Amino acid sequence: MGSRFESGSLSARYGRQFVTLVLAATLVFLALPVVLTFVSSFAGEWVGALPSGFVTLENWNDVIVGTGVGADASVGSSLAYSAGLALAGVLINLIVGVPIAYAVARYEFWGRDWVNVFAILPLAPGIILGIAFLRTYPDLSTSGIALVIGYSLLKAPYMVMAVQSSFQSMDLQQIEESARSLGASWPRTFLTVIVPNAKAGIIAGSIISWTLAAAEFNFSYIVYSRGTPPLSIFLFNNITNASFLNAAAAVSVFFLLIALVTISLQIVGNRGAVRRL
Amino acid sequence: MGADADVAGRGVLARIGGTLSSLVFPVSERQRERRRIVVLCLPFLALLAFSGVFPLTEMFRISFSEARLTTEGFTLEYYRQLVVDPYYRTIAVNTLWFAAATTVASIAVAVPVAHSLEKYDLPGKSVMLTVLSFPNSLPGIVAAFMIIVLFGNTGIITNFIAALSGQSPIDLAIATSVLGLFFAYLYSMIPRALLLLRGTYAEVNTDAEEAARSLGASPLKTFWYVTLPQIKPGLIGAFVLVFRTALAIFGTILILKSLLVWTLQIDREIAQGFNIAQASAMATVWFVFVFAFTLLALKYTSAEVSI
Repeated sequence: MGSRFESGSLSARYGRQFVTLVLAATLVFLALPVVLTFVSSFAGEWVGALPSGFVTLENWNDVIVGTGVGADASVGSSLAYSAGLALAGVLINLIVGVPIAYAVARYEFWGRDWVNVFAILPLAPGIILGIAFLRTYPDLSTSGIALVIGYSLLKAPYMVMAVQSSFQSMDLQQIEESARSLGASWPRTFLTVIVPNAKAGIIAGSIISWTLAAAEFNFSYIVYSRGTPPLSIFLFNNITNASFLNAAAAVSVFFLLIALVTISLQIVGNRGAVRRL
Repeated sequence: MGADADVAGRGVLARIGGTLSSLVFPVSERQRERRRIVVLCLPFLALLAFSGVFPLTEMFRISFSEARLTTEGFTLEYYRQLVVDPYYRTIAVNTLWFAAATTVASIAVAVPVAHSLEKYDLPGKSVMLTVLSFPNSLPGIVAAFMIIVLFGNTGIITNFIAALSGQSPIDLAIATSVLGLFFAYLYSMIPRALLLLRGTYAEVNTDAEEAARSLGASPLKTFWYVTLPQIKPGLIGAFVLVFRTALAIFGTILILKSLLVWTLQIDREIAQGFNIAQASAMATVWFVFVFAFTLLALKYTSAEVSI
């Protein structure tokens, strides 16, 4: 009995401290480099322990306007290009994701669990899908269409999950039956009653799949061949080839994008989606 | 081949034809509902077929191709290479132990973090949650950069330790060592594990824990005998998904380059001489392994997968 209480008092006394310490260490580990990157992107140089020479916009200028050296591209064109590709991916995701989320949430049918698994578990990760695309759609990869359809398949699960969580909080059968009994056809019920009611999930899903598509690196790296580099390739070029502080500025552009998206998700009010991002 | 298949398939075809016509021209409400389900699932299945199943099948075919630029003939050469060549075996072993080690480590960190978020009254919890989920939307290359910021030559932790021990920061920088890669993996995997475990933790029955505590069990014993059995299905599910994530990591390793893993070698096959058949064979092995692993894990364990 004595020993039991001894070990008990040990974890009673230090258990909470230990767990809190792990939490604090994790927070520092995840947040410190982000803060440091952002701060150092405004620094003139970083040779010693800490960056120095504040505040300069030189690095940001190099990233946003471009250095004009060699084939260096500015972030503006990459950002716009990636934004466009990701937006096209989101449109496809809306067309494929909303209906299947509804089918799984509303109906019981043979193979429903399997459909659900395929809808919410990514089939293959970016690099494998990229290899598969190389020879299958060689002509599409130069035009960006391959990127769009690849993004839409890779990010569809996030759309399906966000929309599904909206559908699950609605009494779908009742809503559908009310609309039908008032004389609306089924397509009309779906488009004008069901879909508008799931607005929050649809917006959240669109924002999430857009961000993740704009950030997708592995797939873009394999499939991208020439022309304007997508944002993630631009980041990669900066991280591997540019000076450390320029890379910090390029990564900070990306941080700002994510922060913007997080805030807009908060405004939409889908807090769960923010965590999931 | 066509004629034989036609004769054998006619009965089936007639049945499929019947089902199809009832789908297109439904008579009963039940058939109408079935048509709706098909219509709702069709766009997704089309995308899945066009951008998932078809390219993956092509990849599978290319991996047996004798010619380099067209899909011709049949050879097992590329798979034989993977089995016989010790080079590839080393890569496979590297990949598996490293993914397993990082998965275990990230779950070992995520459990206490999820525990504290669920049980403790912490100030600024919503800020913490934002910080803890932020890396989920960062690509692997950014995770690698974060590790360079922390552990590189000018890294903050490198310099901190250098100042304490008096050694040169260059000797202490671990960003491009295997340990640095380990941390880079954790950087993307801890938030992912946490996301999965938080859902599990939310469902733990707190009454049982309180009962155990009031009956004299220590917090550790309570965790071990009361909390852990409850979160076990979620834990196994998290293990499966995080392990998958670890195997798929590519951008991080492409920048840090400290360990030759499967995904990096796939890229090298392409980059060095466009050996697409070998790369396809490796990608096929990856896909089949992960697919089978996920199926078996979901079927034979109590794993709960909810993303």
